Amino acid sequence: MVESFKQILKKDKFIITAEIGPVKGTNTREMVNNINFLKDRVDALNVTDNQSAVMRYSSVGGSLLIKEQGGEPIFQMTCRDRNRLSIQGDLLFAYSRGIENILCLTGDSLKMGDHPEAKPVYDIDSVQLIQLVHILNSGKDLSGNDLDGGVDFCIGASATPSADPIEPQLIKFEKKLKVGIDFVQTQAVYDLDELKRFVECSRNISSKIKILAGIVLLVSTGMAKWMNENIPGIFVPQNLIDEMAKMPKGEGLSKGIEIAGNLIKKIKDEKICDGVHIMAIGKEEKVPDILESAGILKA
Amino acid sequence: MIGQIKKPIEEILEYLEGKKKIVIYGCGGCATVFHTGGEPEVNEMKKVLIENGKEVLAAIAPPFGEFTCYAPWSKKRMEDYRKQINDCDAVLMLCCGDGLQVVREYILENEFGLTKAIYPGTNPIGHMGGGPSLFREKCIQCGECELGKLAGICPMTQCAKGLLNGPCGGTRKDGKCEVNPDNDCAWVLIYKRLKGLGELDKMREILPAKDWSKMQRPRELEVEPLSLE
Repeated sequence: MVESFKQILKKDKFIITAEIGPVKGTNTREMVNNINFLKDRVDALNVTDNQSAVMRYSSVGGSLLIKEQGGEPIFQMTCRDRNRLSIQGDLLFAYSRGIENILCLTGDSLKMGDHPEAKPVYDIDSVQLIQLVHILNSGKDLSGNDLDGGVDFCIGASATPSADPIEPQLIKFEKKLKVGIDFVQTQAVYDLDELKRFVECSRNISSKIKILAGIVLLVSTGMAKWMNENIPGIFVPQNLIDEMAKMPKGEGLSKGIEIAGNLIKKIKDEKICDGVHIMAIGKEEKVPDILESAGILKA
Repeated sequence: MIGQIKKPIEEILEYLEGKKKIVIYGCGGCATVFHTGGEPEVNEMKKVLIENGKEVLAAIAPPFGEFTCYAPWSKKRMEDYRKQINDCDAVLMLCCGDGLQVVREYILENEFGLTKAIYPGTNPIGHMGGGPSLFREKCIQCGECELGKLAGICPMTQCAKGLLNGPCGGTRKDGKCEVNPDNDCAWVLIYKRLKGLGELDKMREILPAKDWSKMQRPRELEVEPLSLE
């Protein structure tokens, strides 16, 4: 990862990013191992921000670790845990340390996490966060004060291609496009027709937007069913669950790698969108296997 | 109205530990509607306190419509019980925190010059509308009402994340909220209403970061007093 993500987005290439989940604690050995294992195999590494509202090592800290290892980080920033002062302060700090990519997210509900008694913030929402980053990029803060030393963030957002009704999601995504984003990562997709519909809608609003399809690695039938029941916005089709179920015990993961690989291969071969964002939650070491299965990389 | 539920009696008795003579004061407003401080609840509390060895000097249940949080009314009501209030060790309020603090500050301290122990008997859980049985929180009193832009549905209250520019990625397949699957996603409701009104363009308007300084507490208002004659 010698090139900046911003440069990569300008190229006509199939973009691959992967996710690094920070540790709960200070033992960063495994994170650093995963970073070093993946940094040259993908175009950028996302660091989740107290993902699923579970308290962990910070996303800015994780992004810094990636930077220190010579990788290209995408700093995930949610609106759940910080007000506008804290968001801006963290962004200034991040940029000063070479972290140039930010993914603007709302943030999962605290109810899903391990501190459900906490007070949620949501001082601003994800659309307003994108606006805020643009304002910082212009050399001002949100109150219009000048910055002594500015920022030039590459801005990403998320989108949910699977929802019913889909229109409210698309209207919100349209706002993100209007405010201005460089790339979008979708929620996990398994239904490529849904992804195609989403890409078409997005292209109608912005032809330049780089779209990365979210790929979540399935590790077992249980996980697939659990996500369907517990993670809104993720829908694993029954035929994939059946495929996983046919596997002998303990071999679900290899099927999951194959499913993810097939999805990526189709997305790439049919040029459905510009790339993929691989979320191999807790199985980061399997990302090269997924890419190999997609015919993209030899492990 | 201020939605409220009763506090556990164990908690109330803990507050009243060492206090023998008690005045109970309910509310003819919200606490009557929510069955926390109307006449039946005031009488029930009197019975329970007596069973627990307390001496109840007065059990005041204002008639329906007489809000304890409105100082002119609570002052008038409490003046009728001036002696009992002077003699008591503690006042137990069966109303919301507004009522308790109005009575403490405006009546006991400012009018009567008393520093008297005063305790809550309810847990207020929000500004709510609806009824007669089901009440829902609809408004967070943000200080700058956005309902005109949002089809008369407040996402700062109805959306579990208070989002102003559309749904989060967590809307469920059936249009329900990720946080509470029993609730409709506020933004699906807003979308349907605006579509029905032919005003979907309003949903495309980007609302800037909210001015939360209008919610800086404690807020206050000065108004021309109502004539109660």
